[in-house]
This record gives sequence, structure tokens and C-alpha cells, in this order.
Amino acid sequence: MNSKRDLPISTKRLTLRAFRKSDLDAMMAYHALPDVQRYLDWKARDRAEVQTALDAMIKQNRLTRPGDTFHLAVVKTSDDSLIGQISLRWTDATAGQAELRFIFNPAERKQGFATEAVKAAVDHGFEAFHFHRIFARCSGKNEPSARLLKGIGMRLEAHYREHALFQGEWDEELHFAILDREWKPSEVVREFPRKSGTQIARHLVA
Amino acid sequence: MRAFTRGDVDAVFAYRQRDDVAAYLFDEPMSRETCAEIVQVRTTQVGWQDEGDRLVLAVERRADHAMLGEVSLILRNQVARQGEIGYILHPQYQGAGFATEAVRALIGQGFGEGGLHRIFARCTARNSASYRLMERVGMRREAHFREHVLVRGVWDDELIYALLEDEWTTLANNQPA
Repeated sequence: MNSKRDLPISTKRLTLRAFRKSDLDAMMAYHALPDVQRYLDWKARDRAEVQTALDAMIKQNRLTRPGDTFHLAVVKTSDDSLIGQISLRWTDATAGQAELRFIFNPAERKQGFATEAVKAAVDHGFEAFHFHRIFARCSGKNEPSARLLKGIGMRLEAHYREHALFQGEWDEELHFAILDREWKPSEVVREFPRKSGTQIARHLVA
Repeated sequence: MRAFTRGDVDAVFAYRQRDDVAAYLFDEPMSRETCAEIVQVRTTQVGWQDEGDRLVLAVERRADHAMLGEVSLILRNQVARQGEIGYILHPQYQGAGFATEAVRALIGQGFGEGGLHRIFARCTARNSASYRLMERVGMRREAHFREHVLVRGVWDDELIYALLEDEWTTLANNQPA
């Protein structure tokens, strides 16, 4: 599944595009913050570690097999500044499952940018990749993420209590999910294109 | 509840050959030969040492020594002391409270001798007998994953139930003496 050709994705105020080498400074500005790092399991605190993460993300731009991740850089269209990142990881081919992840620069909070970008990424997941279900996980302590996921219509499917130790503390984990038919069904479900009087093609599947 | 012995093969085959048992385990019904192999393995699954180790016990009715099924406790995470409990009972013996009795005893052991912090269990949402048991023993529903997997062409929903050590202690203290 290569939907690179569909990029960039434009929303009202944002552009979602592939990552570039020149994104390092802007990525450093939020990625290395303790406030951001506390919720991530990919440790990238200094410049060299963020550089390694960025190099990997530039390469991870298509979904060829389950396990692959597709990364999107989120840029403010007005001034072309990078404010965050979103990824979709294809976890199960048979059941069409994908995991959504995101990180946003805390300096850009409370303007609805994250919601606007994540909605567009979920759209892309269902429309370009045809996933059946998209899920997202976050810490029970990460209220902004939980609020965002609930706000875009995802359902809280799991709340694990003290199921693991994370950075020395008992962790609570939330799982949110949404099915393709639940996501804006009016836009996703389309009539099979057919002119009146014409026969349906004999083979619907190539 | 006791360790498995080689003499349990027929009793295991009696329930593992059934479609109605296999359906909830996402397994194929087992041949007698496969049952003999798993019983052989189970005779050694009597304790934990490392993450992933399983304790699997045969559940026997005291009155007549009939082998009713099995219960298991798997050490899933050693550092965070997480265990997963499982159970299979021959449908012929279901509905009489035997599984509940066995699971309660094993949970008590897991938190007691086993030193666990949290015990969880999972089942398909179609298996109401299984999740009602979890609710009876005081477990909380922590997850309901909808259509998260496709099993033989059918979407499946999964339930996860869990119980923390202090919740179990509270439950035990509130039991009528």
C-alpha cells in the first residue's frame, strides 16, 4: 500500500507531508522535551538520537507489509513550520488493523491543530489504506491525548490498570478504536458505480 | 487441583476433540495424539521460573475423581508481576460452579504464593459462560476490542478482565465467614 502519491494532505490550516532531512531542528524543539518524552517508548532526547529517529521516519513512508509504519509531518500552512508528527502502523493485514500515534509540540497547544491533523490522518487511513479498524493507545495520565481521541469519535475500548511498570511507576493504559463504518459513514460508504441498464462487470476482484 | 499425569490423556481428549470447546479457543479440535503430546508437556508445567512459564493443573471432582478440565496461570511479566489465568471445562461438567471454584482457588494462589500484582483473563465476547465466571469471581472488564481480528472469516470481539492484588484482598475480607 503506497499512498505517497496522495501526499501532501491539506486541511484548513495544516499540511501533512512526508518527513525531510531539514525537519531536524523543528523536531528537536518538541521531541526532546521531558514533557513529551515521558509518554513515549522511543527514547530520543539528544540531537543524535532525534537525527536517528528522523532518518528512520524519512524511510518509513509506505506500507508494504504488516509491521510497516507510515509517517506524516504536520506543518502549519501559513508559515511552513513543523508542529508535530503522526504515524499509522499496519499491525494486521488479514483484519485490516492499524495503530495511530502522534506527537505535537506543546507550544502549539489549545488551537485545535492536533485534532485537525489527526482527523485528516484517520481519513487517510480509511480512504487510502482501506483499514477496517484504527486504534490508538495512550497513558491514563495523558489527558490531552485521551481527550483528543475521544473528541474525534473514537471509543474507549480498554483501560488497563497497573498492567506494567513504565519508567518505574505503575502504568495505566487506555486503548481507543474506531471501525471504518463508524468513521463518517456518509463519506466512506459509496454506492457501487453503475450506469442504469449496464451489466455489472463479471469480475469485481482483480 | 493437581498436576497432570499421563493417565489424563483420555479425559483431555474428551473435551479437546469437541467443536464447541475448540471454537472458543481458536483452535482446531485435537486428535488423541495431539492430546497425548500436550498432556506430556503439562506434566512438567507445575511451576514458574521465567517469564512465559505456565502452571497448568488438572481439575478433579473430589467425590469420584472425575477429571473435569484444566486451569492455568501463565507468568506474563516478571517485573510487573502480571499473570494470565485460563480455564477449560468439559461442557458436560459446566454450570455446576466447578470452574468458578477452581479459578478462585488459583487466583488465591497466584496472589498468595505466586506474589502476583495483577491477574487477567481474556475470552471472545461470544463466550458468555466464560466472562460471567470472571465477573462472578470479582474481575473487572478492562477491555472490549471490537472486530480487532478476523478468525476463519468472522470478525471477533475480545474481552479482557483483570483483578489487582488489593482488590482481591478486599473481596476476600468481605466474604461472609
